[in-house]
Amino acid sequence: MNLVRAELERLAARRFVQLMLALLVAAFAVTAMTTLVGSHRPSSTEVADAQRAAAEERQSLEAAYQQCLAAARGTLPPEEADDFPDDCSALDWAQRDRLPVATDHLQGVFNFAAQARPLLYLLILFLVLFGFLVGASYIGADLSTGGVVNLLIWRPRRLAVLGAKLGTLLGALTVVSVLASTAYGGTFWLIGQTAGMPGATGGDFWPWLWLTWARGVALVLFAATAGFAIAILGRRTAAALGAVMAYTVVWELGLRVVVEVVGIPRGEDWMLSTYLDAWLTGEARLADATVCQDLSSGYCDGTYQLGWGLGLAVLLALVGGLTVAAFAVFRRRDLI
Amino acid sequence: MSAVIEIEGLRKTFHGPYRSRQVAVDGFDLLVGRGEIHGFLGPNGSGKTTTLRALLGLVRADAGRMRLFGEDVPHRSAAVAGRVGAIVETPQFFGNFTGHRTLRLLALAGGVPTRRVDEVLDQVGLRGRGDDEVKGYSLGMRQRLAVASALLKEPELLILDEPANGLDPAGIREMRDLMRDLAAAGATVLLSSHILGEIQLICDHVTIISRGRRVAAGPVEGVLAGHDQHEWRVGVPEQGRAAELLRRAGLPVDEYAEHLVVGGVSDVGELSRLLGEQGLWVRELVPLRPDLESVFLELTDDGAERPELVDEPAPADAGEGRLIDLDVTVGDDPEARA
Repeated sequence: MNLVRAELERLAARRFVQLMLALLVAAFAVTAMTTLVGSHRPSSTEVADAQRAAAEERQSLEAAYQQCLAAARGTLPPEEADDFPDDCSALDWAQRDRLPVATDHLQGVFNFAAQARPLLYLLILFLVLFGFLVGASYIGADLSTGGVVNLLIWRPRRLAVLGAKLGTLLGALTVVSVLASTAYGGTFWLIGQTAGMPGATGGDFWPWLWLTWARGVALVLFAATAGFAIAILGRRTAAALGAVMAYTVVWELGLRVVVEVVGIPRGEDWMLSTYLDAWLTGEARLADATVCQDLSSGYCDGTYQLGWGLGLAVLLALVGGLTVAAFAVFRRRDLI
Repeated sequence: MSAVIEIEGLRKTFHGPYRSRQVAVDGFDLLVGRGEIHGFLGPNGSGKTTTLRALLGLVRADAGRMRLFGEDVPHRSAAVAGRVGAIVETPQFFGNFTGHRTLRLLALAGGVPTRRVDEVLDQVGLRGRGDDEVKGYSLGMRQRLAVASALLKEPELLILDEPANGLDPAGIREMRDLMRDLAAAGATVLLSSHILGEIQLICDHVTIISRGRRVAAGPVEGVLAGHDQHEWRVGVPEQGRAAELLRRAGLPVDEYAEHLVVGGVSDVGELSRLLGEQGLWVRELVPLRPDLESVFLELTDDGAERPELVDEPAPADAGEGRLIDLDVTVGDDPEARA
């Protein structure tokens, strides 16, 4: 327990961690401020106009769908019928994910419910970056400055010391994530309430938000653990940063180009980003023309899905593998 | 006297890229008794720091047996860690941490009462600078901070690798006094240093390592005595004639501008008489005793030149050595040499 207390104090006192926290707060503040400045509470006239515009848009969609059906029945003049596809399901607004609503037509008004998804993803992105950098530098700096050696002279149990460091890191990051998310989410909710619109927060909005947030926090912990493990394997912080850069350039960008040029089917299956997407959003929908080749009849949109379960399994395998390797290497490594 | 540190047959080879390998320690033995201030000497790359790191569990030995307070290490390191304070080479600290915080975190991690922090800061002369950031410390102050970290646990065994690094003369003297105080309080100190004069002043026992092997060990006086060449500096008026006389008596003689250095002298009275009988009246007769540096350089083959010898007043007992063959005659003055 004393070791965890000491590590927590060491982590909090690190200049790099303090700098990263300041940058995190600054990024949140800039995002909130620009949102606040660019939003206003709509007047009743603006709301009425927006509602009318949304209703007109819905009518327009219905009219187009009906015309498509008419064209299919052959009751439309040929010159007009040419503008519509044979399959009218694409124009069936009832099959759309969402219908036009009034808030779509409110300019300069922040809608909390409508913006929650991108804002949450931005929050998770910030926290993942924060977690990875702090995780890597926390152990990387200790390794390169001899701090770990000092500690091991005091506590000559390598795995326990490393475990305490990792546990402290993940615990601290969980607290930071919860606090940052509360402040971030609360700020935008308040902006929606006072300087914008709360939007449609009924139905599965809050369950979806909580679930995605929880997945995001898990992703932050995965990123921090991966940064921590790679820095141990490479003996320094820069190793973790270099590994991510190299992976991104060589694999995610380079291999993606090769896959597209060569035309390898389901090339996305080899990309880590696919599984990150699947885990965070619940499902990764990927394009693959070959899925329709064997289909003689029925509808085929040329996509396939990877679920969050597979995403989680891949991430756990990767992070778990890195962590086990890091602990195994550190246990036997000569600290010189 | 029970042994605090026992190392037998320690071996460690470092493996580099392309199958390169470097034998750092090759069958090294070390024995440090309780209450000793034990000097650990060796040239750069001789295996000193590797030995200390292996003892502290930071480097995995390939072979050999190590014990601290009778416990096998590194397997039982945790059982004795609370009794051992150590610094290995110059420890690095986070620059933006204060000295006080640096020690406080170590104390917390080691389960030591944090009140010890102020005590050890005082002990190493950093009182008043504890609240300054470490990045503002001089090398000597960082070294003091490192020693303070080793003292936090009130250790029974203190392992210090080059503790005088960066210290000014006053700091070195303070460090020396600190070692003596600790030893007087019952602590055992293993002190690795390149400052051989300091080792000779502080330590009662010494182990010398060269190329990964022990080349000398024992009480400092014993090690020095084992390498005493029984040499004397002799000042005489007719230096060349005196040198030839002594050579004929079977003694090795080196000639210098102002004096001779005569080796193998077991009875200085006989030497004086031999010269006096030939009318060579001695005006200077000084024993040359080896110091730790000369022994060190001789044993570690790092001295390309003849070891420097130090002057000491002539003792009452000249010690043991070869008897001078007095049955010689004096020939012509040899050609004067520088």
